[in-house]
Amino acid sequence: MNDTIETQGQGAGMKQGHVLDLKLPIGWLLSAYGVLLTVYGLLTKKEVYAISLGINLNLAWGILMIVIGGGFLLTAFLKRKKA
Amino acid sequence: MDPVITLNAVDYAIIGGYILVMVFVGYSLKKYMKTGEDFFLSGRSLPGWITGLAFLSANLGALEVIGMVANSAKYGIATVHFYWVGAIPAMVFLGIFMMPFYYGSRVRTVPEYLKLRYNEATRGLNAISFAIMTVLMSGISLYAMALLFKIMLGWPLTQSILFAAVVVLLYVFWGGLSSSIYNEVIQFFLIWLGLLPIVFLGLKEVGGFAGFAAKLQETLLHSVKYLGTSNNPLGVDWFGVVMGLGFVLSFGYWTTDFLVVQRALASKNLNAARMTPIIASFPKMLVPIIVVIPGLVALLVLPEFSSAALPTADYNSALILLMKHYLPNGLLGLAITALLASFMSGMAGNVTAFNTIWTYDIYGTYIKKGMPDAHYLKVGKYTTVVGIAISVGTAYIVQSFPNLMDYMQLIFSFFNAPLFATFLLGMFWRGATAWGGFWGLLVGILTAAGHYALYKAGLLTYHSDMAANFYQAIWAWSADFVVTIGVSLFTAKRDPKELVGLVFGLTPKPKAEARWYARPAVWGTLAVIVAVVLNVIFW
Repeated sequence: MNDTIETQGQGAGMKQGHVLDLKLPIGWLLSAYGVLLTVYGLLTKKEVYAISLGINLNLAWGILMIVIGGGFLLTAFLKRKKA
Repeated sequence: MDPVITLNAVDYAIIGGYILVMVFVGYSLKKYMKTGEDFFLSGRSLPGWITGLAFLSANLGALEVIGMVANSAKYGIATVHFYWVGAIPAMVFLGIFMMPFYYGSRVRTVPEYLKLRYNEATRGLNAISFAIMTVLMSGISLYAMALLFKIMLGWPLTQSILFAAVVVLLYVFWGGLSSSIYNEVIQFFLIWLGLLPIVFLGLKEVGGFAGFAAKLQETLLHSVKYLGTSNNPLGVDWFGVVMGLGFVLSFGYWTTDFLVVQRALASKNLNAARMTPIIASFPKMLVPIIVVIPGLVALLVLPEFSSAALPTADYNSALILLMKHYLPNGLLGLAITALLASFMSGMAGNVTAFNTIWTYDIYGTYIKKGMPDAHYLKVGKYTTVVGIAISVGTAYIVQSFPNLMDYMQLIFSFFNAPLFATFLLGMFWRGATAWGGFWGLLVGILTAAGHYALYKAGLLTYHSDMAANFYQAIWAWSADFVVTIGVSLFTAKRDPKELVGLVFGLTPKPKAEARWYARPAVWGTLAVIVAVVLNVIFW
């Protein structure tokens, strides 16, 4: 190990990646948001959506986020299975 | 004053979920922080898509988003120049031409490159000014965040400031640059998912682009058509836009600002480092979707921006008012989380850039040289604490003297404007000498300050403040360029052997190690072509 600040030779073999499969936290966060928005969208009354031009956007966006978040989780799990 | 927006439990759950994930990511990176390079440069181990998205997000702060929505309401579609002219060419240039010298020379910071290429004095000038600017900017944006959340949600200033500071401190202290980068990637997704609902609803209500065309002034609808003279909403002619914004300011920021360059230096290899800004350029081209469209929608749907109210309208409130206008609770929480995320990751970005420059270029150079790596790792971690404490202090000072904010931003612009000339000559002309670089940079900074003084004294006049700003950058850059060459002709040349790896023409070309579809030049060319096509479409 080269400890001085002036030179930092680093062999390729020493390189330890900062392995954090970012697909997992992103996937979990987006799917949790998706589930929350979908459930909330199903529970809220129609009048709430007067401002969003009558569209229950919580429901629609919630489903979209479940799909996106699920996609991240799926790729992460498939990759893990392969390894 | 009542807050503009009222949140409910679902909104708070969304905000809380984000904070939890952020802190969790920081904590799970803790175990990798063994060396200085791990903490300051993510161990140079990250893949290009991660550093690319972080490169984009580091710049996509909440103030930037709010400001660009405001600009779009003011200047219309011409705001796209801040993206398609004022970012893409510089990002591609950085990736294709400059990254081999930054990454290839194994420097750890931008000022360190200046040290190797020019001399200690040039590094010192850049490192000290950058460190001060970065830590003060972090305080300014902390204050701006707290103020926004106070007006928008009624949150008290002190609590907002301290809460954001503690969260950022936790995750940067644990995970260093990696934490910062990973959170920027999460922010990237949040900002799109949080703001796109406004875009959809806005377009639906006004009737799409046909609605804009039917109801807005013609001058707001074109990017290029009215640039022939400065008689357009920007008040700047094509020369100012192309040279000032597109060349000097944009190249100065994207290619030399350590905040963004640091992300590329964290890449796992040279190809990934070169791809970083090029990958970022594609989503960057699309950012106008979430800023320009809301800005135009604001003009048509908000009573605060009706033609009668326009002269006194506060453009910076456009985005917040649109959120209130369109978003039900739930999606509202998501949009607020997106803004909060971009504030926090912006602050984390500033703090990581500050602790790296401080530790390597100031502490490790002028205060304690040649200590073991573990010592610098420790210094870096505690610098994070100090940096955040200074930010909090700055936020409090700015709170009592709001004008200070404008002055600071002004002074920072003096330092940034000429920098690109120093780098351009340094990387592409082997004849630039050590003192040529230093005096060029210094005269460039003074030229910017002098130009500003003349403009304020009324001796120079422009069509708009923005034009003055663009032309000031052009003058500063030119002064730096001319003085660097002039002084270089009369001072001692560097031995070409010392410049191998630092200057074009003395550095062996990187072998084309990647297949054609993974090569920076291919993707960079594509990015420029797409940007040109977009400009033609919105001509």
